[in-house]
Parts: sequence; structure tokens; C-alpha cells
Amino acid sequence: MTTFTREEITIAGVKTVYLTAGSGPPLLFLHGGGTFHGFEFAKPWAKDFRVLLPYHPGFGESGDDPDLSSMQDYVMHYVELLDRLGLDRVNLVGFSLGGWLAASFATQHTRRINKLVLVAPAGLRIKEAPTVDLFRIPGEQVPEMLVHNFEVIKPHLPTGFDVDFAVDRYRETTTVARVAWERLHDPKLPRWLHRVTVPTMLVYGEQDRIVPAAQGPHWAKLIPGATVKTFPQAGHLVLDEKPEAVAAVQRFLQ
Amino acid sequence: MPRPDDLQFNMFHFMPYIHLPEDHKKYESMWVDVPNTIYDPVKGNQLYTRYLREMVLADKLGFDGMVVNEHHSTTYSMMPAPSLIAAALIPQTTRAKICVFGTPLNLEYPHRVAEEYGMLDVMSGGRLEVALPLGTGMEYWVNPINPATARARFRESIDILLKAWREDGPMAYEGDFYTYRYLNVWPKPYQKPHPRMYLVGTGSPETVQLAAELGMGYSSVFVPISRQMQAFAELRERSPKYGHAFTRDKAIIGVMCYVAETKEKAEQEWMEHLFFFFKDALRTTPRYLVPPGYVTPAELRKRLSGPNLHGDLSWDALTQQFFVVCGTPDMVAESIATWSEQAQSSRINCFLHLGTMPHWMTVKNMTLFAEEVIPRLRSKAPDAHQALSQAAE
Repeated sequence: MTTFTREEITIAGVKTVYLTAGSGPPLLFLHGGGTFHGFEFAKPWAKDFRVLLPYHPGFGESGDDPDLSSMQDYVMHYVELLDRLGLDRVNLVGFSLGGWLAASFATQHTRRINKLVLVAPAGLRIKEAPTVDLFRIPGEQVPEMLVHNFEVIKPHLPTGFDVDFAVDRYRETTTVARVAWERLHDPKLPRWLHRVTVPTMLVYGEQDRIVPAAQGPHWAKLIPGATVKTFPQAGHLVLDEKPEAVAAVQRFLQ
Repeated sequence: MPRPDDLQFNMFHFMPYIHLPEDHKKYESMWVDVPNTIYDPVKGNQLYTRYLREMVLADKLGFDGMVVNEHHSTTYSMMPAPSLIAAALIPQTTRAKICVFGTPLNLEYPHRVAEEYGMLDVMSGGRLEVALPLGTGMEYWVNPINPATARARFRESIDILLKAWREDGPMAYEGDFYTYRYLNVWPKPYQKPHPRMYLVGTGSPETVQLAAELGMGYSSVFVPISRQMQAFAELRERSPKYGHAFTRDKAIIGVMCYVAETKEKAEQEWMEHLFFFFKDALRTTPRYLVPPGYVTPAELRKRLSGPNLHGDLSWDALTQQFFVVCGTPDMVAESIATWSEQAQSSRINCFLHLGTMPHWMTVKNMTLFAEEVIPRLRSKAPDAHQALSQAAE
């Protein structure tokens, strides 16, 4: 049974907590805009990889720094984290907001990546299949929009109103607002995605109601050689919902 | 010129849009997303005409000021641009202060507000007073400014406004949010160096601290009495540390009151309109009240644990939480005297129109307040006592 070890490191003054398990080539996973559903899904990866699951600053157990106010600040945070951990190259998996971060990282530091997986990434504005603006959705309606099968997410939700849960979500949403309130995408990303020259796979849940799976081909057009895998009966949290998706990522990275 | 301890009374008008559809309760919020299709511009025209007349009446009745403020995308207020209302009042009034309480500086370009307010002060021959609010959480859902950086932007905007008014232009300004190659505001205000200024807050320590640092007055709306008192106590204590004397005119209290012949008559006439104000005009969602980053997580925790002031409130809760009173002139004067003494405030913002109050009630309330309540309060003011006792000696 895989268990995560909790580690702590200070990056440019910000307490950064990461969970880790397994050994082998490093796999860095960048989470999305909310951490309440945890990292259970990532456990199978520990069989083949040294899995690193950091909380971004302003999320989960990591510290806050209001000065981190752009996606570029988060790219720099991870450049420094890799340097500090002595990791020259990693397999990079980014989900949702973390997919946007991973894509930004990849445009600038493609040499530090073995393979790249973008799971339902945010970051592109695609007029034909727009990303839902979660800032417009009342908090209580968000969980059911994240999944195809509500049972998957239910254990992570409080029963009834819970002040701690509300405050934690508010803090993480504030962190997202700092980098993405003005724009939920990076208009420069399409211009530079061609610089991602490592094998890249995109993963979607077919019923994703936040980042439509129809965005996949747009990314694939912009990243040379990228492939798209879509999993039926799954929503935005495709990794939580579909062990097959987790396994597909694992196979791709091997 | 009134002295700082002289009680002064401002007529505060929210200028609400009151012609709501029968089924308006289906809108969870009367802010942000309440559809603008329910606004009828013909009725809006009639309301503007009426409300402006009521403000002009305040000047004639001897109120010291007429207060307007800014809100967006709501039935609560028809003043997304309060400077326009102020400009309309200037030629129709002669002596009362024009109080724009006010435009959230961070929702506008700060030099633009400096220009507008400069115009108003020059146009009115120095009758302008301004209060600077951060803006409610609701404003940030309908403006493109990031709520997570709102406070930092607010602070910088105040800095720019003060520089633009206190220093001679042209100058350059280099900030985190704004760069001015030539900050050179025309016209500078009529009053030197600038009109009297207040900060508007919700009782948060940061804003009180800022008012103390800058030597400004402090005013709050919809803050429970206990939190207002705490804020004023902090202002009194902290202002001198930054070389600014605390004077009573730096503490503004806002009172909702209705004056009638008897207590029963006052309640009978006023209650439904007061409840409309709280239940229907102020109705909004917790999400709209606190957009992401508008408050700290710790502050949110405090608010989630406190009472909801934007929903269903009982009469008891209302009168315990807010400066709310109705009754005979004696009763209203007594309450206001007590509150102003407790808050050590000499500036009273009077909400004499609220919610769906019809014109006749507003006129009645304003007239009785001006003719029956204000004289009673002025005779109770500390200075008056002093003058009387000196005369006795």
C-alpha cells in the first residue's frame, strides 16, 4: 500500500509542502485550482516513479505570498523547486490550472522535461469550446460540475455548511484570482507552444463541464506531435474518476 | 464656519430604484446579476427628478450637507456615477456641503477622480466633501478590477489623489499600478489644499489605521454599532501618533430615523419601508459580498461566524445592530444625542429616505427632523452646555 511522505521546503521565502512516494524517474504533478479532492489518484504512479505532489503557494498546506501574482511567478517557483531538489529533468503532469502552469513551464524550460502530460488544461482561450469561468459559479454548485459521477467527489465534501471548508476554498480561490481574475487564459501561450518539443499527451474526460474535451485538438495543433486521449463517463476530475486515465498517463511516461 | 464639536447633519440619499416586479423575491440578489431589464427608464426619470428635489429641500431646510454615494448594477442605488448627481445639485443649492461619499478610487483612474472632484469643488465654490470607499464586494463582480489586489490599488490611488491635490503639478508618479509621466490635475480644488476627506470602511482595522495615518475622518455603513464604536476608539487613539489631532468631526455616524407625531404613528408609517430596505434593497448573496481576495481568509471566518446583515433581520436585531430609531422628535433626538456622545461624533449622516418611502413621507421626515430634532440636539451639544454655563457664571 503506497503512502505519501510529507516534505517541506522554503522557496524564495514561501513554505512549500509536497507529498512524495515511490522511486525512479521523477514525476512532478501540478494540481489545479482546488486541492480538497486530494491526491489519492496519483498513488499508482509511485510504482514506477518518484512522485512529487507539491501544494502551490496559496494552496493546501503551503504558505501564502500575495506577491506571487502571475503564472510566471509560479513557473519561477517550480524552476527553483527543481533546482533545490537537484532535479534536472522531470516528467511533468499538470491538471487544469496546473496544466496551464505546466504548459507555461514547458514553453520556457522544455529541456527540463522528459515527457509532458496536460490533463484538462486551462490557459488557452478557445472560442468554439470555451473554458467555464468558475468565478461565475456559486461555490456550492462547483463540486457537481467537476465530475461525471458525484459519488467520486462526495467523500471529500463536508455535509452541510462548514466554515473551515468555506474558508479553505476562499483562500485557494483568492490565490487563483491573483493570477487569473483579469484573464482566465494566457493570450501569448499559442504563440510559444511550438517550443514544447518533448512528447506530450493531453487527457480529458469526455463529459468535462469546465474545460471541454473539444479543446484537445486545439492544443494538439499548437504542440508539435501532441496526442489527445479522451475518457468516456468522466468529467473534469478525470484522474479521480478514471483509473484508466491514471494508467494511461503511467504508460505514456514510461 | 462650524467648529469641530458643533453637531452637523447631512441628508444621505441612496436614490434606490423601487419599482420592482411583483416576483422580485425570486432574485436571490438585488445586486450584480439582477437583470437590468426590470429597470424602466421612464420611472427612473421620475425618481431622479423626485430624489433631486428631496436633496434640494435638504439645502433649504438647513441641513449641513447632502450625501450621495456610488454603487453599481443594483436596485439599491441609481448612482453609479455620484459626481453626476453632485453636479446636478450644485446649481440648485446654495449653502449645504456637497458630500460625494464616494467613488471607489481603485475602480476609476485616480487622476480622473481628482479631476472630477476638483471640478465639483470649483463649480460649487468650495462646497465639496469627499469620502473614499474601497467599494462593497458587489462592485468587484461588475467592474474589471481584481478584488485580490483591490486594497493595494486603493492605497496607491489615495496616494495619487493626495499628491495631485497637495503638490503642484506637473510631476511624475511611478507606482505599482499606475505610472503618470505628467500628473498635472486641472483644476485643483477650490478649497486649499483640498476638500475635507474621509475614509469609508467596514470597521476593518487596516482602514481605520490608514485614516489615522492620513489624518482623515472615518465613516462606515452597515457596520454593527459595537464595531463602529471600536473603530472610532482606534481612530481617536491612533491619529495623534501620526501627528493628527482627533476631532469629533472626524467620526461620522450614520443614523436611520423617522420622525412623526407619535411613536405608534412613526412605526406604522415607517416599518415596511425600513424592512424593504434591509430585506429587498440590501438583499444579496454571501458570494457577492466577498469576492475572492476582497477580505483575508481570517476576516472571512469572522464574518461567516457573525450575523448576516444582508437578509432577514428582525426589528430587535435591527435596533440592536444599527443606529435605527423612530418616534417623536424628543425620542429621536435623545437617541442621536446618546449615540453621538458614545461615538464622540459631531457629524451625523441621516438616512431620512429609505427603501420605498414615498415623497410625502420623506418630506415629512426631513421637515420634522430639521425643524424639531436638529434644534433639540444643537441645544444639547457640549458647546451649548458650556456656553450656557459660562453665561450663568
